[in-house]
Amino acid sequence: MSQPIKCSLCEEAATVHLSQVVHGNVTKVHLCEACAQKGGATDPAVFQLADALTTSSPAPTLSCPKCGFTDIDFRKRGRLGCPSCWETFGDALDGLLLKVQHEASHVGRTPAGTLPTGQLRRRLDAARLEMEKAITAEDYESAARLRDEIAGLEKQLAPA
Amino acid sequence: MSSVEDILAAENELTHLLGAQQAVVLSTRIRLARNLDGMPFPGWAKLPQRKEISDRCIEALDALPKFRRGHVLRMGELGDRDRAVLVERHLVSKELAAGKSGAAVISRDQTCSVMVNEEDHLRIQVVKAGWHLRGTWHIAELLDDALGGSLKLAFSDRLGYLTACPTNVGTGLRASAMVHLPGLCLAGHMDKVSRALNQDGLAVRGWLGEGTEAAGNVFQISNQQTLGLSEEAILKHLGGWIKNVVEQEWNARRKLAQEEGEKFVDRLARSLGLLRSARLLTSSEAMNMLSHLRLACDMGCLPEERRHLVDRLMIEGQPAHVQARAGQELDSDGRDRRRATVVREALKDFPEVVPPTA
Repeated sequence: MSQPIKCSLCEEAATVHLSQVVHGNVTKVHLCEACAQKGGATDPAVFQLADALTTSSPAPTLSCPKCGFTDIDFRKRGRLGCPSCWETFGDALDGLLLKVQHEASHVGRTPAGTLPTGQLRRRLDAARLEMEKAITAEDYESAARLRDEIAGLEKQLAPA
Repeated sequence: MSSVEDILAAENELTHLLGAQQAVVLSTRIRLARNLDGMPFPGWAKLPQRKEISDRCIEALDALPKFRRGHVLRMGELGDRDRAVLVERHLVSKELAAGKSGAAVISRDQTCSVMVNEEDHLRIQVVKAGWHLRGTWHIAELLDDALGGSLKLAFSDRLGYLTACPTNVGTGLRASAMVHLPGLCLAGHMDKVSRALNQDGLAVRGWLGEGTEAAGNVFQISNQQTLGLSEEAILKHLGGWIKNVVEQEWNARRKLAQEEGEKFVDRLARSLGLLRSARLLTSSEAMNMLSHLRLACDMGCLPEERRHLVDRLMIEGQPAHVQARAGQELDSDGRDRRRATVVREALKDFPEVVPPTA
């Protein structure tokens, strides 16, 4: 008899086998009864996380200097140890982030009191949309003004 | 009076706000995941560290005007039933209730609740009855700014707000709507709608969140992606889809009412009759019948001003609520008997179901 397939999230035997198409990508995942129930087999994020955990090639063992968390721990728990782990496992996590989130960098708000890059970024998002609209509406005067504003914002947001 | 009894007794956003309730969308919810800089995440932290995290977060929250005269509830100090009541009210998650070192800080009107030491150090939640995405977001944004002013939050320029799980990093934002979709369910379209939402990056869950069945045709629809999109873009994406789902739901309802005619009214009238005379009522039976009453209120088959009472019964008909109201532990039959009594009592002076006007 062949070896039973193990659950993508824990070591139990998998009894739920799923394929799902999200944004045109096929993902396959194997889950045990408990994880399927807990994670919600219909939840695309959990689904893709499990998929990323099984298919990503095993990285050399990394350990977070701040909290001692290792990549083996991450495989077991699917959660990180502390904020510094994001730096420790940065490269290894990027691939996973692209799978789970389809993006690997933040464009939202920032904590109050720090640089208002969030606001600049929000304005940049909005200005880009407005420019597209202006072009569609053949309002080239507005589009040119927005283009200059976008260039200015991009300059301010570029890492020094 | 314990804090949880106080919460049960208080008039609040979801169960009492006469007039705030809307057809189709029961409530709007915003959740932000935040963590303290330099501290391990709750799942990896040692007990003394979790204690320190909890003390620091509660101190900061307690100082905010929003939580004046609110509740600070430490899970380790609450009994099983009280914790179950909080879960049923969506004030805390099952995960927080299951652990001992978690806490919840809840505003007096129960619109804001912050979970401390859940998967992340802080989970800010704001909920409003009906569909109010902008207003709900605005409250969460102000709370987030206030907390960011008194606590140093874990943030990276590239990845945004750092969280324990990669599915929350970036904005840490989960925006959701609790929607009541009996029309789409009766018409057999729910699977199709659910798939379309999933494919466009939105999750569809049952009444109590992850891994729960959609009792009473109530679903929670939320964004999945938290990174690489601005909060604005996330809210816009969800908002567009909710508008679309609400429209489809109304189309399904109207079509159903038109095609079924008397059968449609009969179904709603039977549910009212059953709820008014049953002596034993299970939780899922009550939810499904109450779903028909809510539909009747939306369609003009019952007076619209009764809708908030239906919403209240949906929340208060849940097992822990029934027991808390009875003030004692009840076995399954006891709960069903008690639930039937509460529902019968509440619907005593409901008028008869009439043909739809909507």
